[in-house]
Amino acid sequence: MTAQTPGTPVAAEARGRPRRPWGAGLVPYLLILPAVAALALILGWALVRNVLISFQEFGKRQIITRTTEWTGLDNYADVLDDDRFWSTVGRTFVFMGANVVLIMVLGTLVGLLLNRLGKKMRLALSIALVLAWAMPIIPSTTVFRWLFDTQFGLANWVMRTLGFDGYEQHNWFESGFSTLTIATVLIVWMSVPFVALNLYAGLTTIGGEIYEAARMDGASAWRIFWSVVLPIMRPFFLITTFLEIIWVFKAFAQVYALNSGGPDRESETLPVMAYIEGMGQQQFGAAAAISVLTLLILLVALSFYFRLILKQEKEQQS
Amino acid sequence: MKRKLMAAIGVAAMAAGAVACGSDGDSGNDNAGGGGGGGGDKPEAITVWIMTGSAPDAWLDELNTAFEAEHGVEVNVEIQEWNGIQEKITTALSEDGTVDVLEIGNTQTVGFATTGGLADLGDLADQPWNATMLESAQVDGALYSVPMYGANRAVIYDKAIWAEAGAEVPTTREEWIEALETIEANTDAQPIYLPGQSWYVAGGFMADEGGAFAVKEGEEWAGALNTPQAQAGMEFYQQLQEFSTAPKDTDEATPQQSVDVVPNEKIASWIGLGWEAGGAIAAIEEKGGTADFGYFPIPGKTADEPGHVFLGGSNLAVAERAGSKEYATKWLELATSQEWAQKYVDAMGGGVIPNRTDVTASPEAGSFAEAMVQAAEVGYLPPLTTGWANVETDPNPIKSYMTKVLNGDDYAEAAEAADAEITDRINRE
Repeated sequence: MTAQTPGTPVAAEARGRPRRPWGAGLVPYLLILPAVAALALILGWALVRNVLISFQEFGKRQIITRTTEWTGLDNYADVLDDDRFWSTVGRTFVFMGANVVLIMVLGTLVGLLLNRLGKKMRLALSIALVLAWAMPIIPSTTVFRWLFDTQFGLANWVMRTLGFDGYEQHNWFESGFSTLTIATVLIVWMSVPFVALNLYAGLTTIGGEIYEAARMDGASAWRIFWSVVLPIMRPFFLITTFLEIIWVFKAFAQVYALNSGGPDRESETLPVMAYIEGMGQQQFGAAAAISVLTLLILLVALSFYFRLILKQEKEQQS
Repeated sequence: MKRKLMAAIGVAAMAAGAVACGSDGDSGNDNAGGGGGGGGDKPEAITVWIMTGSAPDAWLDELNTAFEAEHGVEVNVEIQEWNGIQEKITTALSEDGTVDVLEIGNTQTVGFATTGGLADLGDLADQPWNATMLESAQVDGALYSVPMYGANRAVIYDKAIWAEAGAEVPTTREEWIEALETIEANTDAQPIYLPGQSWYVAGGFMADEGGAFAVKEGEEWAGALNTPQAQAGMEFYQQLQEFSTAPKDTDEATPQQSVDVVPNEKIASWIGLGWEAGGAIAAIEEKGGTADFGYFPIPGKTADEPGHVFLGGSNLAVAERAGSKEYATKWLELATSQEWAQKYVDAMGGGVIPNRTDVTASPEAGSFAEAMVQAAEVGYLPPLTTGWANVETDPNPIKSYMTKVLNGDDYAEAAEAADAEITDRINRE
């Protein structure tokens, strides 16, 4: 492959001057080729393998006997026929929506705050944000698990101290809803720094004279944000929301480590469901089908967003 | 600590071994051709997987020294943790020469035997095995593993608290409840520690009523929790659980009742295994206290028969793709021979139910083992079928059902949901 590619521009050149833009057009592709090849090797192979497994009956027996049993679309039919799958899809979207809205709103507020703070406080807040962000997922999930512990949890102590009844041995993980609420607090806490710091970085590029001009025209703080900051920062908000949607949608460790998708599988999101069906039940075919469907759902859900971003880029170019 | 480290090293070695096998299949181990098989060269060593806590180190060392002296083959024992063991065994059985002999929990053995990953041990079939244990070791009459040990639960009680309350050791369920009421009235101790998801215990109460987790209907299995028998068993569990302040949504292992709960709280009684009783005693002594435990079998409905208990235990099997099936079988034969099985039972302090009828456990009077052995005859096993392992795996539908029932949800609804899940999983491979 490598022997062939350098030949192309040479061949193009040999044809004569009018064709020159062709060869020049190839150079960028050649430059990204190593990166694409590495990605294809690492991610692509796993993806292809996953898709292949989703068409197989693949479990304990197949692994041990080293056989491959193709079953066509059986896994997909089973998964799509399963009520649990659809309720999990709904739950995943609600969970994702709540998280992304909270992350974006709180992240934006903290970002704006960073921009207005004095030097010392800004440094303090930035350090706090970076620390929250740098904390690895499993340790922070474990800390949250302890905070909301039934017997010794801080949350129960706070509620008792504030004078609320019924928090003597309150179990915060007794329902799927409250488990996912805690997961939401955790994920929002982890994700706000990314939005806040990036927004702050973006805000520093807006010259002070723009604010001044707006204020001269008598704009309120809200109006300045809505009519000045938001339009300027629109690409930032679009791409960050896009990233957060993907990150929250595939958040696995936080949800799984909090309560293993329990109680009674009520806090399972799609990635957790795929893991429990796959690793727990050793039904790797069904789990692969769930993960492929998850990917497709995410692609469809984000396709309108892709278009929005592409449109935005076009507008900026013209 | 040391065991964990050993297990970690074992895993690392296993991974390295797997890579080595993958890169060059033929030169990997002594036998050409993936299937292992008899005859041929003598291996340098065989690998034995033993579950944590299953065998005393001294017994293993002595046994392996004897084996090495006789055959000149080294034995590497790798201690494994129960957590995640199914996936680990699946991987090991799919590789050539990763493991030769392995201990498998008795409820999981059938599942692995039907995959073809375990070697046929027909030559060992004529030994005088314990009949109940043998059931879990074979599939359709063919022997794929041999019993290693059996164990079951008994009630462990704090003699001082029972004496203080004036409660007497019960022989029937009614007397049991009376005793717990007496303790509740006369002391500030928790009469019994019973978390909501101790499903092996609940299964025993169901078996007392003639119920089971699942029943076979023709070729298929079906969940059987939504039956009057299971409901009656669960009602008694609930009656007991009301004496406990233990959480309704965890099992006895989270937090570990023996070392994390019993030593730290005032608990009059609890249901556990022999090693749990030992663990609790050690933990209490470490804190500077003294444990004075008494033991009695879980009471049945009448005084004639103790309550049904889950017959836990392990089997030993040889991997079909063992590095050396021949020497693996030889080791297995030696380890379970009358002589070494007797030594094993002695080394465990009589705290296990012997795997052979020609081995006798002579538990001391007043020991856990004494109470345990009394109940062993009315033991029960969960359905012995390939799919049972799927049911046991968390999220275990029986556990969720128990929590729902204890929280006062509608019984039929909770049982029906769990039955559907059990039926779905148990009929799967």
